[in-house]
Amino acid sequence: MTLASTPPRAAALTWLSGAWAGVSSSPILRIIIKRLLMAIPIMLGVSILTFWVLASIPGNAAQLQLGINATPEQIATLEKQLGLDQPAIQRYLDWLGGLLTGDLGRSSVSSQPVTSLIADRLPVSAELVGLAFVLSLAVSIPVALVSARRPGGIIDRIAMVIAATGQSIANYVLALLLVLIFAVKAGVLPAIGFTPISEDLGENLKGMVLPTLALAFPLMCFYTRFLRSDLVDQLQREDYVDTARAKGAGPWRVLLRHAFRNSSFGLITLVGLNVSVLIGVTVITEQIFAMPGLGQLLLQGINTRDFVVVQDLVILFAAITVVVNLIVDLLYVILDPRIRYGSR
Amino acid sequence: MSADPALTDVRPADAPAGGTGPADAPTASPGTAPGAPLLSVRDLRVMFTRPGGGRVFAVNGLSYELRAGRMLAIIGESGSGKSVSSRAIMGLLPPSATVTGSIRLDGTEIVGMPERRLRQLRGTQVAMIFQDPTRSLNPTMRIGLQITEAIHLHNKIDKKAARARAIELLKLVRLPAAERRFHDYPHQLSGGMRQRVMIAIALACNPKLLIADEATTALDVTTQAQIMELLVDLREQLGMAVIMISHDLGLAASYAQDVVVMYAGKAVEQAPAEKLFARVRMPYTRALLGAIPRLDATPHSLLPVIGGQPPNLSVMPTSCPFRPRCPVASDQCAEIPPLLEHEPEHRWACWHPDGPGAADQAAPVAAAGAGGAAGPAVASAQPPAAAGAKTLTTPGRAGSATGQGER
Repeated sequence: MTLASTPPRAAALTWLSGAWAGVSSSPILRIIIKRLLMAIPIMLGVSILTFWVLASIPGNAAQLQLGINATPEQIATLEKQLGLDQPAIQRYLDWLGGLLTGDLGRSSVSSQPVTSLIADRLPVSAELVGLAFVLSLAVSIPVALVSARRPGGIIDRIAMVIAATGQSIANYVLALLLVLIFAVKAGVLPAIGFTPISEDLGENLKGMVLPTLALAFPLMCFYTRFLRSDLVDQLQREDYVDTARAKGAGPWRVLLRHAFRNSSFGLITLVGLNVSVLIGVTVITEQIFAMPGLGQLLLQGINTRDFVVVQDLVILFAAITVVVNLIVDLLYVILDPRIRYGSR
Repeated sequence: MSADPALTDVRPADAPAGGTGPADAPTASPGTAPGAPLLSVRDLRVMFTRPGGGRVFAVNGLSYELRAGRMLAIIGESGSGKSVSSRAIMGLLPPSATVTGSIRLDGTEIVGMPERRLRQLRGTQVAMIFQDPTRSLNPTMRIGLQITEAIHLHNKIDKKAARARAIELLKLVRLPAAERRFHDYPHQLSGGMRQRVMIAIALACNPKLLIADEATTALDVTTQAQIMELLVDLREQLGMAVIMISHDLGLAASYAQDVVVMYAGKAVEQAPAEKLFARVRMPYTRALLGAIPRLDATPHSLLPVIGGQPPNLSVMPTSCPFRPRCPVASDQCAEIPPLLEHEPEHRWACWHPDGPGAADQAAPVAAAGAGGAAGPAVASAQPPAAAGAKTLTTPGRAGSATGQGER
């Protein structure tokens, strides 16, 4: 019994501080834990705000489903059935409790579980956003490098004019323009619709071309301009570039081996920040191209006052944003030795 | 060695006095030097064109020579053209720069050389280290890799050999625990260690000339002395020439054998260090010396500073560029004074030089046609009309650096 002389609480504290010391020695673990702890108040805030805004909108799912000719009795019955007669606090706590146990609830309209609704549509949106990011980076990085090689040169000038133009076109205008040119006039690509990858990869990609372009082009222009000016900045201001040139390194080596790595931090930050914006743009793009993605689900949910679906989606988007920011932070750690080995 | 007490004050206690190097022969000047100098800069001019069309005349006819194995200090304030002229030797100026004149390094003309050939020259013939070692190393690359990169750029050797050479270089620059430090990132090193790494990179391919552009300015005084001594030792050990660019005359006096003082893109005084500091002639050099804080100065007294503004470089000077700030300026200074070899190996560009002999200004100018012709001086020797009458007696040091000081 002498062994148990340490009070359990003190033992737990000792263990905790020991564990923290172990964790804090690894910057990666430290960042993950810090970010996840920070995510708790963020997600809670998002959930309260979303619920409160939606609860303040006049009309509910029962009224909308039954139409204007429904009797108050009919509406009351359906409200009771859907649990809409409960006080707002009660509904919020029920929803939150469900979220914590992994139950996203059911749609008030189709009474399908929201989990399966999201599972059906997530691949569509994920493919679209993923392709848009890959395409925009795959084009902007080489173009920015070539432009920065000779600032003010012919390639640089052409690229910058295109980029400035592309950056100032709204996505939905570009989407309509693309449909007009490639679908209506040329007729080479479908204007709307979506074929799942499992059905036909070729058709799937064909249908993805226009929405991806509509999403990616402004991003591409933005990244190109940003990266190009960051690279030129590095080349003109940073002494380590002079050191590299003084060694006898050629312009491409200086750009790729030296300047690009240091410029990539800014680009990564930008991409991370863009994810949340891009989710919003995806909602519109999916609508234009009639793609059965999360954006469409969100708009349907708002139109039919299917609040549970909307709340779940907003929480999902918030979670994605938090995770992407975490990934960006981790990338800094991997790419920047000053953080990896830096002081704490 | 130098007669000036102000210099003795700033010199590190154990530092070698100026001019203790092996080659204390007379300064390289055509005709007197045995064989050609390693570096010969003649009438170098660098002009920058601004995007708006404005122009900056950064270097306006600079000439000097440097023999192998010697250390030359180029001294001047910010904007005097000391860095720009040295970058011209590396071919490291931005595209907005127009370079004319001649820079011959070991017999090869550098001005107008195509970039591809310049690249072969950098590292192998000339190397350069910069002011701020926190910024001059790539923060995302291990220092070992930054050294081996320099080796691989000019030598076809395998990784292992390059690594061995890099460690050898790190030992040469006396970086402690060289093998272990090989894998470090720059931020893991102290400022002095980083500058040692920079020197190791510069020495990677055995350059004949090393340019140290304010290489110790960002370091504390103790580290500064260590780095300077390292440079002096390496110069002797490897037999290379060193150009140290600085605004610190005390540093030049302690370590360099030859000194060029620049103002407004031109050399205004030029001599072997011992000659120069034994008798500073140009009022600007005198003012620079006077601006060094002295340990024996009265506590809380104002620091002497050089009054007025640095020269405007967007117009070509038509009078002596130091005239507006010069305590002894006269009407004669409306003419640009030529840089002439007034005394053996001692050149200055001034109508009213300090020190004895100042009164007979006319004599060396008159003799310029004979004795000074060999020097890389501006040819037009102006007849000094009222020189004798107008020359002032030498003002005291404090007086020449006009005390426009603030607290």
